[in-house]
Amino acid sequence: MAQHSNDSKEKVVYVGDSRVKKSGRRPNIPPDYSAFPGKSEAFVPNFLLKEWMVGVVVLVGFLVLVVSHPAPLGYPADPNNTSFIPMPDWYFLFLYQFLKMPYVSGDYVVLGTVGVPLIMFGALLCAPFLDRGPERRFYKRPIASTLMFLAIISCVYLTYVAWDHYQDQLEEMGIVPEHIQREQEARRAAERGESPQKPGGAEEKQIAIVDANDPITSVIQANCLACHGSDYQGNGPVPALAGVGDKFSKEELADIVTNGRGQMPAFGDRLSAEEIDQIAEWLAKQKAATE
Amino acid sequence: MFKAIYNWIDERLDITPMWRDVADHEVPEHVNPAHHFSAFVYCFGGLTFFITVIQILSGMFLTMYYVPDIINAYASVDYLQHKVAFGAIVRGMHHWGASLVIVMMFLHTLRVFFTGAYKHPREMNWVVGMLIFFVMLGLGFTGYLLPWDNKAYFATQVGIQIAESVPYIGPFIAELLRGGDIVGAQTLTRFFAIHVFFLPGALLALLAVHFIMIRRQGISGPL
Amino acid sequence: MSNREQHEQSHSSAKKKTMSRRQFLSYTLGGAGAFMVGGVALPMIRFAIDPVLQKKTGGTFVKVAQESEITTEPKEFKYQIHQVDGWYESDPVRTAWIARDQNGVIFALSPICKHLGCTVNWNTHNDNQYFCPCHEAKYSIDGKNLKVAPAPLDEYEVELRDGWVYLGPVKPNSRV
Repeated sequence: MAQHSNDSKEKVVYVGDSRVKKSGRRPNIPPDYSAFPGKSEAFVPNFLLKEWMVGVVVLVGFLVLVVSHPAPLGYPADPNNTSFIPMPDWYFLFLYQFLKMPYVSGDYVVLGTVGVPLIMFGALLCAPFLDRGPERRFYKRPIASTLMFLAIISCVYLTYVAWDHYQDQLEEMGIVPEHIQREQEARRAAERGESPQKPGGAEEKQIAIVDANDPITSVIQANCLACHGSDYQGNGPVPALAGVGDKFSKEELADIVTNGRGQMPAFGDRLSAEEIDQIAEWLAKQKAATE
Repeated sequence: MFKAIYNWIDERLDITPMWRDVADHEVPEHVNPAHHFSAFVYCFGGLTFFITVIQILSGMFLTMYYVPDIINAYASVDYLQHKVAFGAIVRGMHHWGASLVIVMMFLHTLRVFFTGAYKHPREMNWVVGMLIFFVMLGLGFTGYLLPWDNKAYFATQVGIQIAESVPYIGPFIAELLRGGDIVGAQTLTRFFAIHVFFLPGALLALLAVHFIMIRRQGISGPL
Repeated sequence: MSNREQHEQSHSSAKKKTMSRRQFLSYTLGGAGAFMVGGVALPMIRFAIDPVLQKKTGGTFVKVAQESEITTEPKEFKYQIHQVDGWYESDPVRTAWIARDQNGVIFALSPICKHLGCTVNWNTHNDNQYFCPCHEAKYSIDGKNLKVAPAPLDEYEVELRDGWVYLGPVKPNSRV
């Protein structure tokens, strides 16, 4: 430091120089390429430019995807929601489907959750130590390549089956995935010229239950609320019972309970006519309080 | 001006060799798609890194609005997606980027596998690469819960149940992940911390090792 | 960048007037890099600075007190405003000191001390002054800064409707 004060142009001299040695550095051409003289090019700018060109193309495609498909967002988490079909992200689907297979479920679930994945991922992790021959071309490594092909095909197959099953389930149960339902509602609200619904807005305009202590509610609780929501406020696509009296008359309600409607099963053979009559009467009373 | 600043720093830190180390090296022709179009398969590694950078940036920006709290998490995601300008774009980048990074990484892994690039002397780099793969899957799993909508909640419920079925230590792992007996407030903060601090930290360290090894060993020669 | 180019140019023997291949590559590289950085970063930056660019909604007026209650002696009134802060909506309590001046005009002062943001109180020492306990700042009845504080107390916008005092957003003191 003291030396520095005299002449600023004098080169800084480090005492006990710890800088990287100038001599004895690794040559800048990696050893591998000395075997291919003239067949290499500079990383910057020649090679990087081509790499970045690919990057630009990918970025454009990516931005188009992002702009055209907004990220999905469903409704707030509700642990009591029974109509929701939980699905993992797509890259876990193969595991999800695999765990449904016999021999890795039920009593053998440990085999599915630990055994097979451990072997598969372990083998993948240790691939260089399992496949030790000097040959690099994949067709000269038949065992390794075959195993990999089989693994890829089974992953693709399992993913496809899982997704297909999910779509079937949605169709069968008449469920629209929440994030789509939510977008549709927002669009409809916008068309009607309303401001988009606030999160949790559905709860704000909840309709109170009339005559909640009527004895018939015990029958309703036992038969209806599994689908219609333990608080009578509906559940996903299943409509709320609160306020149902505004939509249907007593006779219509009795008919719906007896014969079912849409996804709702018929209760005509499960409940007595008297019970249905009482239920319909109670439901018909469920009108939104007039302010 | 720039040259003066550069020289001032170079005099003290000797940065020219560092720059040379990063940029001024030769790359074999067989990985360059301009020479053989089929060489585009060698781009997937770089693209994985590019998307990873996008993920890190968009994630950093998303945390400006997001709160990891079960009451406000959903509301804040809803707010940033629908009320903040470009919110849908930034969240979309993070959402689709998560998928794209898995795709790119998968393709990169397959390329390395089928060209036998993991053979001697590059065995260790394959192992590090696989660890990066697992970290990425972990990031995907923990990130899924954060918006706190039904999909997030139930997918996490299932994921933790899978962990719970591991013999002996399963219940312990599950409770550790949940931070309690239920998937709730403590699970969310835990997953947030793992998603935002622990796994990215591990990821950056592994990436550094991955790149240093590539630089040391060079790209594997042509087949 | 520029340094490296110079560095490279000094290596190449001939300095051509036309663009060299090396330069062309460098510019294209820079362009591609700038596009990638811009494409990724610009939406995020716009996202981050959105609060600054969002349109400020004019403050709403809140009914606080009856006109008849207001005297020449400042009185403290607490009232609730509805505040939307991003996704968080709340009804925080605000405080205002409301008084009449000699002409009978009603004015309302914010109790936030202009020194370091503590809360002032009226007439703590029976000297007809606002007093801030943190650093003993003092203000006159009109909010004029007498001691310590660098600026007079802020004022609320006041509206009188049907015998009620309505308070609006805060504005700089217009009385001193």
